[in-house]
This record gives sequence, structure tokens and C-alpha cells, in this order.
Amino acid sequence: MASNVFDVLNTRACRGLALGALALMLGTGVAQASTLEVSNPRLSLLPGNTPGAGYFELENTGESTVTLVGAESPAFERVEMHVSSEHDGMAHMHAIESLEIAPGERIEFAPKGHHLMFMRRVEALSEGDEAEVVLEFSDEQRLPVTFAVVSPASL
Amino acid sequence: MYKLLLAGVASVLLAGCSDQSWRTTDIDDIMPPLDFTLIDGEGETVHGEDYQGKATLVYFGYTFCPDVCPITLARLGDTIRRLDDETRDNIQVLFISVDPSRDTPEVVKRYADAFGPEFVGLTGNQADIDAVTNRYRIAYEYGEANEDGDYLVTHSSAVFAFDREGQAQFLVRDSHPVSDAEADIKRLASQGG
Ligand SMILES: [Cu+2]
Repeated sequence: MASNVFDVLNTRACRGLALGALALMLGTGVAQASTLEVSNPRLSLLPGNTPGAGYFELENTGESTVTLVGAESPAFERVEMHVSSEHDGMAHMHAIESLEIAPGERIEFAPKGHHLMFMRRVEALSEGDEAEVVLEFSDEQRLPVTFAVVSPASL
Repeated sequence: MYKLLLAGVASVLLAGCSDQSWRTTDIDDIMPPLDFTLIDGEGETVHGEDYQGKATLVYFGYTFCPDVCPITLARLGDTIRRLDDETRDNIQVLFISVDPSRDTPEVVKRYADAFGPEFVGLTGNQADIDAVTNRYRIAYEYGEANEDGDYLVTHSSAVFAFDREGQAQFLVRDSHPVSDAEADIKRLASQGG
């Protein structure tokens, strides 16, 4: 990835500028990572092969809006962002593509609301285990988070 | 004066038949007794009357649901865990799947067992599941499958409560305060019989 950037920019013969730009890009990336704070990451799971739900709080302590666009985990084939809702006595659940978090905003993925839906387990997981999850943002930023595997009874 | 008298009569009446005033939605007169033909976790055909003798809570859901279904069942489990031993022996929770193609007897059994010994998983053929959902006037709807063949199901979020004779008593909705649901469940399970 980084070498591609060098190649492209080298051919344009503006190396000094390119290095400057690259440094800026890397610098921005690092700064943004430190402006996202995840707390209380839990993966609610039952025995068997039923899907799990991921809950956490995420705070944007930075100065620009960030957009959460998804997540992945080596322990599951597919991870989606979902919202549960209830109207007229019916429980609905639908996938969302992205979620913006404004500067200073704190969002909550919590039971019966936003959740990560973890589908098709690759690894056997049970209560007390940990699951590695990467939160993905629209600016290519990736935030690794370790989720504690819990029983829904603990929520 | 007349109004005051009426209010007085009403409060006497209410106090006199306290077992009619559930804090959640009373369905005594609107819902039929517990009845169905389904398949239990052992693959045996079972009927509503097989579950008489205990207060019975019924929830319709599907095991592929990671959020609302397990959270609802886990909270019912919490409520039951807070009852004293004797009362706890007088209550059971039936989880009736509306997704029988994925929810085999084995799957519903493992799922229900995860919430505690009071939980019973039931499934069945589509016609029998439709018969019970129609009976309690609830709907469910399958979403489109993704490339893995996985799909979501929109389903009723209510918990139906029946007494030990299988008579409909109350219905807990999402909007009811947890404390009201807990009070009603506790009272239902404590009723002698
Ligand atoms: Cu979901």
C-alpha cells in the first residue's frame, strides 16, 4: 500500500511534495486513531452456531466527524451493523451501511438498539473467551478492539 | 356527589377482585386458552394442554436473532431467577420458533436450555406454527436471504402469559416497564391452584 503511493508519486517527479503529503497522511491517521475511544466491548453469544451481537460505546474525542462503516473478525465469516427496533408489537432488525459520529459525540451499541451482528462462527467461542474485532471507518482507519465473549444473561 | 359515590364503588370493586388488574395488558377476555400442536426439543409432538399445571409464558421468535430474542429471554430468566424456589417451580417459558426451517428440534432445545431449566424450545411444521400464531393474532415475516442464505425474520415482540389452567392472563409489550412485567409474572407464578 505505502509502496504503491511512492511509485505513483515518483513517476510524477515531485518527490519532496509526495513525502510531505505522505507524512501528513500518516500523521493524520495516527492522530485520528487516538481520538476514538471504545469502552465496554462485549460479544453476546449462545452455544451452538447462532449469531452473536456486539455491544460497545464509542466516543469521538477528535475534531472531525468519523464514519463507522463496518467491522470484521477472524472468528466470524460475516459481521454487519444492525439496528433493532419495535413498532406495532413487531420486532424488526435491519442492516445499516454507515454511522456518523460527530466530534465529541458518544454512540452506544446496546441491547435492542444498534449492534454488530456476527454471523457464521469460524472459531469455537464460549463465555469467557475473547474475540478480536476490527472496526472500520470511511477514511480507511481500522480500529482493533478485543471483545469479551459474554452470555446474554449478563446484559 | 353521584360521581364520588361511583368512584367509591369502583375502588371497592377493584380491591375486591385484585386478580383482575394486571399491570401489563390484560388479555383475559380477548385471547383464547393455550392450545397448539408443535414439536419439542426431543422431536416429540406436543400439545398446549401438556404444559398445564404451571404458569406459562410464551414468546415467539427465532434462534438466528442475536439481539432482541436472547435479550428478551435472558430478562425473563432474570425475573424467574429472583423468585423463591417454590414459586420458580411453578413457571415455565415456551420459546416457539417462527423459523422452523433453521430451528430444528435440536437447535431449539440447545437454545432454550441456555436460558435455564424453565425454558422449553418448540418448533413444528409451518402449518402448525401458522395455526398458533393466527390463534394469538401475531404476525411474522421472512426477510430476503443474503448470499450465504441467511435471512432475518420480523416477528412479534410480546410475551403472552397463561395461568396454570392455560387461560390467557396478560401480555407484556416492550413498552411496559420492567417492574410491571416482573410484578405480574411474580403474581402469576405465585397463584395457587
Ligand atoms: Cu442483527
